[in-house]
Order: sequence, then C-alpha cells, then structure tokens
Amino acid sequence: MKRVMAILCLGVGLVTLSARAQETPPAPPSTEEPQPQPQQEAEAAQPPAPTLEETASKLDALTEAFTEMHNSVDALSKMRITGYILAQYVNDESSVNALSSAAATRNKDQFSVREARVKFTYQLTPTSRFVLQPEVATSGVSLKDGYVEFTEPWTQWHHTVTAGQFNWPFGFEIAYSSSDRELPERARVTRTLFPSERDRGVQLSGLGFGDRFNYKAALVNGTGTLQTFDFNKRKDFVGRVGGSFGPLDVGVSWYRGAELVSVASNTAGQEFAKQREGIDFQLVTPIRGLGLRGEYIRGKQPPLPNAAANAALAADVTGYYLYAIQNVGTYHQFAVRYDAYDPDSGHDLPHVAANAKVATLGGSYIFHWDENSKIMVAYERLKTRGFADPDDNVFTLRYAYKF
Amino acid sequence: MKKTFIALLLLAAGSAFAAKPVTIKGSDTMVIMNAKLAETFMRKNPEAQIQVTGGGSGVGLAALINGTTDIAAASRPIKSTEVDKLKARFATLGVGIAIARDGLAIYLNAANPVQELSLAQLRDIYTGRITNWKDVGGKDAPIILYSRENSSGTYTYFKDNVLMGKDYSPRAQTLQGTAAVVNAVSKDVNGIGYGGSAYAKGVHFAKVRKDDKSAAYVPTLETVRAGQYPISRYLYLYLRAAPNGDAKRFIDWCLSAEGQKVVTDVGYFPVK
Repeated sequence: MKRVMAILCLGVGLVTLSARAQETPPAPPSTEEPQPQPQQEAEAAQPPAPTLEETASKLDALTEAFTEMHNSVDALSKMRITGYILAQYVNDESSVNALSSAAATRNKDQFSVREARVKFTYQLTPTSRFVLQPEVATSGVSLKDGYVEFTEPWTQWHHTVTAGQFNWPFGFEIAYSSSDRELPERARVTRTLFPSERDRGVQLSGLGFGDRFNYKAALVNGTGTLQTFDFNKRKDFVGRVGGSFGPLDVGVSWYRGAELVSVASNTAGQEFAKQREGIDFQLVTPIRGLGLRGEYIRGKQPPLPNAAANAALAADVTGYYLYAIQNVGTYHQFAVRYDAYDPDSGHDLPHVAANAKVATLGGSYIFHWDENSKIMVAYERLKTRGFADPDDNVFTLRYAYKF
Repeated sequence: MKKTFIALLLLAAGSAFAAKPVTIKGSDTMVIMNAKLAETFMRKNPEAQIQVTGGGSGVGLAALINGTTDIAAASRPIKSTEVDKLKARFATLGVGIAIARDGLAIYLNAANPVQELSLAQLRDIYTGRITNWKDVGGKDAPIILYSRENSSGTYTYFKDNVLMGKDYSPRAQTLQGTAAVVNAVSKDVNGIGYGGSAYAKGVHFAKVRKDDKSAAYVPTLETVRAGQYPISRYLYLYLRAAPNGDAKRFIDWCLSAEGQKVVTDVGYFPVK
C-alpha cells in the first residue's frame, strides 16, 4: 500500500512539474547586455523607409512596364479572332445501310461537325484589313475566306476594294452566316447556283446616302472554290445594289458569265452562258419579333460535264424562298421556310426526276442558351413535283457555339 | 414524394417569376450618371433592381444585339450596321431614348496657357497636321494627344463630328475611359484630351469656336442648350423594343424632373 502511495505521489509530482515546465517561458540566457524587446526587434527588421527619389524611380519603372504592356495589348487588340462550331445529328429518310467509301456513303443518319471555323481579322488602320478564315474538318483544312481590303478614307461612301476569296456579292442568303441562319442549310436554289458561296476575284463596295444605299460589284473566276482553277479566260461579273428603308431592306442582284464544260462533241470544253438575276427583301413587320425574308432568282445554268447530247445546254432555272421568323423574348426563335427550285423552268431538258422541281417546307425551333450557344431542332419536308416523291425528309438537331 | 414534387414545382415557378434585374451596359462616359440614376431610382423603388456596367458604347450595343443586356447605354447614335444585326437577330429596329445632353469637352492641362481652339484646329491637332502648341497660340512644345479606344462612343462621335471622318493621328495614345484621359492630361502639361463635360478634375476646358468668325464657348447648360457650344451630343439608352416593366418605369423616371436633376447634378445637361 505504501509502495502504491509512493508511486502515486511520484506520478502526481512529475505531472505537476511537467505542467509548470510548459507554462513557464524559458529563462533568457544570462548575459550582461540588456536584450532587445520584441517590438524593437520588429522595428530593427524593417527596411528603412524609401526616399522620395527611390519611390519616383520605382514609379517610373512601373510606368515604363505599364506602357510596354499597354503597347503589347494595343497591338494584340488589332487582331480579332472569332469562330464557330456546328455539331449536329441528322436523320434523313433517304439513308441506306450500305458499305461504300466514305465519300459515297448512302447513310446520312449520323453525328457530324457541319462546320468548324476560326476567322482571323487583323486591322492595323481603319483603311486596311486582312481576313483569313480556314475551315477545319475531318477531311482536312480548307480556305473559306482569304482576302485583303482597302477602304478609301476620303469620302463618306467608304468605297472598299476587296481582293482574294470572298462571298459572291449576290442576294442575301449567301452572305448570311451559317452560325446565324435559322434553318440548317441554305435554300436549294442558293446551294445549287452558288455552291460553296465563294469565289476568287476582286470586289468594289460602298455605302452611301445616309447608309440607305449600298452596292457591291465583283469580277470573279466564276468557278467558285470547289475547283482550284478557272479553265476559261473570261471572267464573270456579279453584283448587288441594295436599299434600306427603315423596316424594309431590298436588293437587286445580277450575274453574267460563262462556264467551260466538257461535252461529248467537244471534250476540250464548250462555253455555256451562266446567268442569274435576283431580287431579295428583308422586312421587320409591325408584329413584335416577326421578320420576313424572301429571295427570287432566275437564270441560265450550264450543263453538268459530259451531259448527254440532249441535255448539253444552258437550261433556264428559277428558284425562290420565303422565311417567317418569330422571336419570343430573348431566348426563343421559331422559323418557317418554304423554298422551291426548278432546274428546268424552260422545259428544255429531258423529262426525268433529276430535272424535276423540288419544293421544301421546313420549320425550326431555336433556343438561344446564352450569347455564345444555341440549340436548333429542325424538320424539312421535301416534295419532288411531277414524279413519285421519294422518302427524303430530314430531321436535324444542332448545337452551335460561336465566339 | 407528392409534397416534395409540389415544393420543387413551387420553387421552379418562384424562380421563373422572380424579379429579374434590368441590366444597363455600355458607354463609359455615361457609367457614373447611369449608376447614380439607378441608385436614386432603386432607393425610391426598393423592389426594382437596376445593374449598371461600362465597357464602351460599342460593347453595350453588341450586348444588346446578342441578348445579354436589356439596355445599351451609348454616347453616339446606333450605327446602321448595328441596326442590321438587330433586324436579323430580333426582327426589330431597336428603340433609342435620349436621356441627357453632353458637351464634349476639350481637356487641357491647368498650366497650359491656350484658352480656346477652333473646330478646324482641333481637327488638325488630332489628325496630326498640327503637332506643336505654338501653332495654336501656345508655347513651343509638342502636343501630346490622348484619345479613347475605338469601342468608345466618344471616340466615334469625335471622329465623325470633329475630325469629319478622318483618321486619328497614329501618335494619339488610346486610354480606357474618360477618367483616364482626364488623369493623363492633368499630369501632362503638353497633353490634350476630350470627353464628357462631367469630368473636370485637374484640367481646364478649352473654349471651342465653330469657325474663325464665331465666338468661343465652354460647355455649360446655357451654351449647350442654345446650340452655341459646337460639340454637343445626346446620350442614349437603346432597347430592342419599346420598354416595359421596370425598364419602362426607370426610363420614365430618368426623363422626369427628378431624374433630369440627377443628370444635372452629375454634370451633364437635361434633355427637357
């Protein structure tokens, strides 16, 4: 018992000593000189206050660094980068399960990237501009836009010369961006008569009379961008004059040119007339958020290469479209389009389905998610006139992102 | 389960109908005035929420076009290209409402002896034809040009109405915001800048003459109202369509005597 008591006392004593040792600060080393207090130590550790000259020098250095940074940012701000991606799923009634090459696949039901583009615009001065817009696709990179522009600074018209590869200045729909369009594809007449929407050449444009009148006129190869070369020596003329009258915009377009086509009687190529005349309008109606657009085009279209003898002629063609677009609030858009294209309005070509008139009724709903992205759901019903109507209606679900 | 579903439904409905703030984005010239107008309006109408941000007139109008702001503040009229974009996206021509007038002041350093300039002299100075103060009655010293970035409505207005569409001299230093221009001129004895007449700290306004025959004026309520000061402009709020709800109440209030007093207090001039 005594032993237990002794151990307990020893234990309590040790714990007490230990606790005291933790509470009591360590004794200062015994020296003869007085030790500096903590506040004095802190003051001693602080660097001396900078002189006015030192502060001014630092400010100058900062100003210099800021100026350099400002110059760099200023130079970068002259380069503008924009772009968009259209990712989509298409369900096409004409799709067929069949093994074939990628280019000849008959299955159109698939996920795809419809377009993926980045546009670089560099503008050092208000009078000149450099524009390059490549398209990046799974098949490779191709040039969509590549041009330089010069705008004269001497008149209020700001006449502009554009040289390179650019949109055909014809009608409204060609230049209306795919990222803004309310239905998945352009009208059939536009796609057929202006494939790829672009050509190479030189253009003069201007805007005057209080911005009410605008014009564009260009000399181009006439081959579009699907061909690398222009095989005929003649250049084509294409132009549009437009007027803006408050809610109504109208335009008249004209195209005159010729195309060299290989035919059975002349494999080196025979020139055929390539002509188009068009009229277009865009109207903001008094009904809140409702806009109407339309375009009518007629002309002469050269035959396809190696066409049969009875089809080797420049056929009369006509086509048109009419859009109604209803905006509901900021986010919702509904669009309906009726378009028709007749590749043989003069009835000169053989009476076959390939030369039949096709009409399309399409409708879409677009949800503008934010300033960059939108989702489109569209359905298009195609009708071939005068022949058995094939199953070729198309459903599209598209997600578009632009910046 | 049923209760949870109803609660979620009520929450969703509540958030859908919750008061959405009215957003105003754009002109840096107008940002102080708009903030003051919004602050005073919200104090009197606590249920309303008005959010004001700057960025420049071009930025505000771009936001109006892409649907990210309800109202664009612009110190210049909307351009035809911007109207075209509104037509294409929203099938609307846009609605512009002038809520104030501004005399575009010419800032000179307090120590600069030059007191007045003509429009032609200003044009020559900012296009780079006149580069020394002695050519306009000052001392023999280079003129240091301060300007605004090209997204600014003030930049565009000055270019269109003073430079008559000509390009700025490449020597002009671009600064972000009127306050930065005033600050630069206040520290640079050879500096010259331009901007809203509500900003005047540390600088003096040059009197401006329309031509050699006319008298020179500084921008004041009287000279701007009488059309004597030659560089005056309207300050606008643009909407996609005729305003409704809180936006309409706010704009109506801005145009009321009370709102116009705030405009005057900030240093601009009333439209009525």
